[in-house]
Amino acid sequence: MKKILIVDDDPNIVDYLVTFFEDNGYATCSANNAQDGFEVAKKEVPDLITLDLEMPGEWGPRLYRKISEEKSLKNIPVVVITGFSGSEHAIGKAVASLTKPFDRDELLAIVKESI
Amino acid sequence: MATEILLIDKDNSHADALGVYLERQQFEVYKAGSPDEAITFFDNLSMDIVLADPGLPDTDTAHLLKQIKGSHPGIQLIIMCTDDSLDQAMDLLKQDVVHYLVKPVKSAALDLALKQARTWITMNKKVQRYEKKYKDLRNAQTLYQQLFDEVPCYISVQDREFRLTATNRMFKRDFGDEIGSYCYEVYKHRGSPCRNCPVAATFEDGLPHPTEEIVTSKSGKHYNVLTWTAPIRNTEGEVTQVMEMSTNITLLRQLQDHLTSLGLMIGSMSHGVKGMLTALDGGIYQLETGLARQDEKRTAKAFEQVKQMTGRIRKMVLEILYYAKSRELSYKSVDISRMAEKVFGDAKAIADKNGVVLKADIADDLGLVEVDTNWMQAALVNFMENAVDACTYDQSKQDHIVDFTVFNQGNDRICFIIEDNGMGMERETREKMFTLFFTSKGSQGTGLGLFIANRVIQQHGGTIKVTSEPQKGTRFQICLPRKKPENPVRVDDPGKWANNLIDSPGKGKS
Repeated sequence: MKKILIVDDDPNIVDYLVTFFEDNGYATCSANNAQDGFEVAKKEVPDLITLDLEMPGEWGPRLYRKISEEKSLKNIPVVVITGFSGSEHAIGKAVASLTKPFDRDELLAIVKESI
Repeated sequence: MATEILLIDKDNSHADALGVYLERQQFEVYKAGSPDEAITFFDNLSMDIVLADPGLPDTDTAHLLKQIKGSHPGIQLIIMCTDDSLDQAMDLLKQDVVHYLVKPVKSAALDLALKQARTWITMNKKVQRYEKKYKDLRNAQTLYQQLFDEVPCYISVQDREFRLTATNRMFKRDFGDEIGSYCYEVYKHRGSPCRNCPVAATFEDGLPHPTEEIVTSKSGKHYNVLTWTAPIRNTEGEVTQVMEMSTNITLLRQLQDHLTSLGLMIGSMSHGVKGMLTALDGGIYQLETGLARQDEKRTAKAFEQVKQMTGRIRKMVLEILYYAKSRELSYKSVDISRMAEKVFGDAKAIADKNGVVLKADIADDLGLVEVDTNWMQAALVNFMENAVDACTYDQSKQDHIVDFTVFNQGNDRICFIIEDNGMGMERETREKMFTLFFTSKGSQGTGLGLFIANRVIQQHGGTIKVTSEPQKGTRFQICLPRKKPENPVRVDDPGKWANNLIDSPGKGKS
């Protein structure tokens, strides 16, 4: 079973994504800030990461840089899910950027295509 | 045009001889043998000179001449008469006559009389012209004075020392009628000239200069004014005075400020709104799938989440509406004990959910208070919610309590105390907490709640006292007058004037 890491500071949105991915046959793990996100990623080594950009403390782009500098994690595809519009430029190498509120079918299609 | 002259003489041959003499001197000559005949000329022609033998002792002609002089004062009258009737003629016509000649008329005397008459005519015409010009000038002056007074701007004229030498009506109305006092005293209540004075600049270079200022009226109101200056020059072209014309744009600026902060608010909140909508999507998804799978646990949880999100969105929308709309309060006399209990009930639901103990001490007979129930309740709940949040965010202790106390302070004030043992506030948070869009709660806060709560309390004429210590807790004491304020309290956005008030009013002499 493929595993997805969800990083978002809003527990309601984490809950939403966990339920949605699990309903569609994925395993999940989550973190509600960037520091925890990096720890969980190292421990779980997920197949895909969804990443919020604006979070208290470290922001999403910094977590992305840390992940891409980590040998074991750097090839994991990242999907940005954020409230900022025009966020596709924030992380250029992300496989996709979705703006909240996102279309869940679109998200699922992106995930299926990536892993 | 030739000078027109009317000869009145019963003696035809004498008249003819005179006529030839006069025509030779380029006069346009008309002749009349009797008063009746003479009248017809005045009906149709405009005579310049009348040369007449009144034919005394018969006085008909003399009376006619008097009458003509009365209705045509510009006509110059020359009388010819015999030596023995001269006294009678002078007695009858007195100063209506420019010259008296004795018959037989000598040409030198006649020439002199005509010359004098012509001089009088020229002078008369000049005087008439001047009179007309003077009248026009006076009309223009009245018009300019009217314009000066009625222009819907503040106009003042100032000398090199910035002393007011003239002000218009609107200026007098709002700033007083104080000719001779200094511009900076009257407009800014300062003791010395302002920096970057446009009047000084116009004295310097003779050109108009614009500026935008905040001035203080005699009743202490602040006005935003857009000011233009213009030089007033003397006949040598030197700038002797400067006119300053200020348009009151306070309403415009207020509207602009409001729109700016509204735009800023919408911008800063869009992120939060997007998060809420996403969470609402999540709730709806789980509700849908929960129902489809008949998973009661998921359905119940999802329903709770939808409810919570709807509540948050509702609150935010109401806050935006409050901020976007003009804030006229509608006062009602309410039983304050009942209202406090309602507030307590609303806050209790939130406290319970977050595991915070909420205690109330509300006397049963606090009496009636005039408030806008909706907004006052919302404001108080907001303070309570903040207290609960301060407890929820506090990691340093296990048990958290919020105390809500309501009591009468004397006969005319009611006080609410909301005290928590939560995380407390650092100085910065304490100073900024009522500022628009300031939030210490990250994406969970809009920065509107306390801003609006503070405004509502202020609009009611109330006061807020805050004491807080990090890790120990926070205490809000809110006191309201029992009666609504006589005059509506205008609450300015914090820091609204700050940028403009480098020369803060009230610091000067007055």
